[in-house]
Amino acid sequence: MHEFLAQLVNGISLGGIYALIAVGYTMVYGIVELINFAHGDVYTLGAFVALTVFAGLGVSGELHGVALFVDSGLALFAAALACGVIGMLIERIAYRRLRNAPRLAPLITAIGVSFILENAMQAWKGSAPLPFPAVFPNPIAHLRVVDVSAQQAIVVVLAVGAMIALQFFVARTRTGAAMRAVAQDRQAATLMGIDVDRTIAITFAVAGALAGLAGFVSGAYYQSTWFLNGFAAGLKAFTAAVVGGIGNLAGAMLGGFLIGIIESMATWILGGQWSNVTVFIILIVALIFRPTGLLGQRVPEKI
Amino acid sequence: MMLRRSAALAAIVVLAAAVAGCASSGGAAAKTIEIGIDLPLSGADASVGRSTLNGMLLAIDQANAKGLPGGYVLQADQLDDAVDGVHSPEQGVSNVRTFVSNANVVVVLGPYNSNVAAAEIPITNAAGMAQISPSAVSDGLTLGSDARKLRRVNPTLNTFFRVCTTDSRQGSAAAAFALKLGLKRAYVIDDDETYGLDLANVFTHDYRKLGGTILGHDHIAKNTQDFTSLLTKVAATKPQLVFYGGTTSTGAGLIRLQMFDVGLGSVPFMGGDGIPDIATVAGKRADGTYYTVAAPNVEKLPSARTFLKQYRAAYHANVGPYSANAYAAAEVAIHAISRALVANGNARPSRMMVLKEVASTDRLSTPIGTIGFDANGDVKEPVLSLYVIQNGHAHFIDQIDVKPEGA
Repeated sequence: MHEFLAQLVNGISLGGIYALIAVGYTMVYGIVELINFAHGDVYTLGAFVALTVFAGLGVSGELHGVALFVDSGLALFAAALACGVIGMLIERIAYRRLRNAPRLAPLITAIGVSFILENAMQAWKGSAPLPFPAVFPNPIAHLRVVDVSAQQAIVVVLAVGAMIALQFFVARTRTGAAMRAVAQDRQAATLMGIDVDRTIAITFAVAGALAGLAGFVSGAYYQSTWFLNGFAAGLKAFTAAVVGGIGNLAGAMLGGFLIGIIESMATWILGGQWSNVTVFIILIVALIFRPTGLLGQRVPEKI
Repeated sequence: MMLRRSAALAAIVVLAAAVAGCASSGGAAAKTIEIGIDLPLSGADASVGRSTLNGMLLAIDQANAKGLPGGYVLQADQLDDAVDGVHSPEQGVSNVRTFVSNANVVVVLGPYNSNVAAAEIPITNAAGMAQISPSAVSDGLTLGSDARKLRRVNPTLNTFFRVCTTDSRQGSAAAAFALKLGLKRAYVIDDDETYGLDLANVFTHDYRKLGGTILGHDHIAKNTQDFTSLLTKVAATKPQLVFYGGTTSTGAGLIRLQMFDVGLGSVPFMGGDGIPDIATVAGKRADGTYYTVAAPNVEKLPSARTFLKQYRAAYHANVGPYSANAYAAAEVAIHAISRALVANGNARPSRMMVLKEVASTDRLSTPIGTIGFDANGDVKEPVLSLYVIQNGHAHFIDQIDVKPEGA
């Protein structure tokens, strides 16, 4: 029982990272019906930017007190900002002109952008894994039934906090309303005076910023990053988005946590070599039996 | 029409120039013999790959300075087998094919990794070209039915040689050493690759035989980043030692890092010669890592002193874990080429002539001791050394002479 709970905690913190990435897949899909395969690499970029900021600030180890909030806040902000801007740029350069092209065209440019980002990051910081400073203090709380490390708590708090903010943004703000309108019917939204290009650009910016946040969090959590990390993480987050119901925000969060927990349990029960296999079997099963996902609705004319 | 004709003319001119260029470079290469080198030179494996390459280049430079019979000059032809930062069997195969198609290449040095070697051996075997690895330690490359499968094109011809010892000897030494340290309960993890799986299996087998308890044995998936689930499971078994079969790039670094997050930080971590560079990923948390290297500790060997001095002078850096082995492998190749040149009346020897000379290498004095090969291509007198990382530095612990099995 104790071990089950410990694995549950591991799964939830891993799932928090997947959920942050999955939300980006699902937002972009919801609004332009495109699987943005470059999204996983934007996540890696977040870790790279945060790493650069820490190097610039001279941070090499655990942070305490004010420095914890100021320095890691700066790194987090820089990662989210840079990734938001990159997300917008990717949309502007690689997808906007293809918005009315056959569905396959932007999918292929997405894969192309993914390769460009990977190789740019390899050129930037080399192809070896990079050590990331262990900025979060990491006492382990021995609760009555399970141990939770401070790092895991931080990951989950940041992930859940970001997603509550996102829900609020989409549901309660004018821009959020515009996003929902564009997702529902682009033409009608144009007729209502909504700037569609701008709204889509903002969607990519928000998705990118969340990926940047995820990149920062994963860097600090694993104390290591690598230019190709986004590939595997991106695929799993994509799986999470599909399982939750692509296009559905709450579904992506649910899917993210679910995939994280499933991966942990598979490692625990079946062994480490089966973790990826299990996750992708779930993707296949979801695509066959419930393509709309757990919370998705059957909408005509999606891929 | 006019345009097309001039284009055709231009093409002919270019073609003629290219042919002329080939001819002239062929003339210049008449006295050049090439040595193909295949190593991982970029990414996660680069730190060990580069220092290995340097060992080989040093030997080749020295041979050229001394001069070869017939006035021949050796030229190193190095290719990188890392793709996206990790050693790749596919890239290794492509590199060795490049060497085979270049008639000037008579011998191949490398690769570094066992799974790359397993992919390359069938090609050098078909081509009848000798291949000498400084570090590929997997048993199946030279021994048993696995090795026979690799030699399927020319079953009676062995083209693969190595100056290091084998996995089984490394795994046995690690098992004996762990028990000597009083660590009687071990959890084993491996990366499911040729090298890692072999090493882990041999360790498991010998550790049990010597009275140790194996609490569990797990394999990991490629490109895994999160090992906390696996390590939580490991922690629940309360191990005194975590043994890892694999390399730093396939997971050792991240596993060591994350051991601290599940309360296993004070438990020693042990592996083979795939993890001497573990601190590049695990940083300070690499402390408490033990590893074996399938080579003697060159700093302790009298025969290595000159080599160490020359290496430091040439590269302004300390030797890597396999620099001396690389130098020895290159020396084997160079001596074989020299002998083949003499035997051939100072004319360019064929690959088969060089191969014959490599195979008959015996009592060749190198920085890592005298080298001679048995019929399988393994060294006759293997030596292993053990290290521990403390305060970020590797400390030599012990050196073991392993008697060949059955001897």
